[in-house]
Amino acid sequence: MMRSLVALVFLAFISFVVRAELASIDDSELADVTGQSGVYLSGEVSINENGGPLANGYFGDCADATKVCGARISVQTEQNGGWFVLDNIRGSIAFEGLTFQIREINSGFGGDGALFNAQVVEIGLPGTLRFDDFEYTLATSSTERPDDPGFQQVEIMGVEMSGDVTLEGNLLIFPTP
Amino acid sequence: MALIKRAQCATLRKPTALAILVSALGMIAPAFAELTSLSDNDLSEVDGAGIGLVFEDFVFSHEHDPSEDKVFRINGIKDSSGSDVQVNVSQIYVARAGSNYGANLEGVNLGRLTNPYEIDLVDGNDIGLSNKTVLEFAAPTKVDAALGYDCLDPSAAAGSGTCSSRPASVGFENGERPDLGIELEINALGQNTTNLNVHAKSAVFDGSYLRLWGDDDRMAGAFQLNFYTPELEISTCDKQNEACGSSIKMRDFQLELALGQTFQPLYFGVDEVSGGLTLEIAKITHEYVNNISASGLSDGSAGGDEAYAFFEDYYTNPEYRSNIYVGELEIGGTSLGSAKIEGMQIQYLDVKLRDLAP
Repeated sequence: MMRSLVALVFLAFISFVVRAELASIDDSELADVTGQSGVYLSGEVSINENGGPLANGYFGDCADATKVCGARISVQTEQNGGWFVLDNIRGSIAFEGLTFQIREINSGFGGDGALFNAQVVEIGLPGTLRFDDFEYTLATSSTERPDDPGFQQVEIMGVEMSGDVTLEGNLLIFPTP
Repeated sequence: MALIKRAQCATLRKPTALAILVSALGMIAPAFAELTSLSDNDLSEVDGAGIGLVFEDFVFSHEHDPSEDKVFRINGIKDSSGSDVQVNVSQIYVARAGSNYGANLEGVNLGRLTNPYEIDLVDGNDIGLSNKTVLEFAAPTKVDAALGYDCLDPSAAAGSGTCSSRPASVGFENGERPDLGIELEINALGQNTTNLNVHAKSAVFDGSYLRLWGDDDRMAGAFQLNFYTPELEISTCDKQNEACGSSIKMRDFQLELALGQTFQPLYFGVDEVSGGLTLEIAKITHEYVNNISASGLSDGSAGGDEAYAFFEDYYTNPEYRSNIYVGELEIGGTSLGSAKIEGMQIQYLDVKLRDLAP
């Protein structure tokens, strides 16, 4: 009797699978789904301000003027080809007032709103982005990493940004037929 | 302890063990199935809804002004003696038409809810690219002239042209045609500061697109850039005197640039040895090109007829051609009349960038 009880208790803790067909949800059903009213974001993104995790012949601490201390993104568009590079990415970007919400549009927009008459995802741009010693370099390179054999890099231009950048308005995102 | 557990297991009655076994069968069982890659043919069947993008009340602006702790600088450029040339971006802006060289920044709409900027996966079979899926970034499309707006006229009314984007008006102040501008201050060692500014009023990009797809082992593309503005101004004025006379004004400026087609794509990549950018458009050819006779006509075979029809379309279809129209070219206040480059076709392109630095 005791062993049966133990087995019963053991069975109670076993996960059982519920088998049910996954059904697709069409646009009209999705249109009835409403969530919270929105999200308000503020924040700061800082990238390699003092240097990244690598220390070798190319990358190093930002205090070492002979080394590159920013991050590097390499993208290849041809198998066995060279690389498009966003190099030496560093600095910080701060923003306040970036918003996300669902919005119904059925008027405005020079008459297009009434014709559109649907919901969109609205991303409210923050108004001001604050860059602090932000910089990057556009380049192309023969290899993915600077310490790969045969490394050759052609730097197209570098960009430095600091201070307030005006970025106002709303970005509306919606599915198209 | 382990011995006690083994003893307890051994004394479980058969019905209890059976119950556990049946229950265990109901537990989550992993499914082992091989993940298989999708071929181009499979992917070409993908044609989902695209993503529409519209900017509402949009303003973008930045400038180089150390007195306000604003820095916007382009570096990495050297003069002929190897000295650094420092380029400060005095101003860059995107704002509502009527901005007066970016001095009055008001919100503008970019794209229409009924004809937005769009990111889409296009079935290649629909655009003459067999069994491929194409990633497309597109500006608002051109529309029937009975419904659209003149692409240049900043006060155009409906039914006056093929552009979808509408100019600002009393009833629709934002409009969908932005003023664009960039002002550069160039500082080279031992030389006076010079300026280079480009301003476009009430600009329209309708009909532009970038299409990308995989072609063998590399990325291929087709790029169409349409750019219309009632006034494109290039000047060397400084920031305090932006409307100075040292300028070239191109009124009623139209650029329709076609780079690459589905059957003659633009390849862009990087040389694996020098690290330089490469742009390539291969020579046009056809499977039955040898069935075209020396006179340029089909040799009468089915293949020859097919090849002739292909080349006839290639050389006559206006969609494959680039055009530049300037309604009035004015230099330093003197009008030089109109200018036109029409029907330009890039039939072969092989460009490689190399770094001149040792």
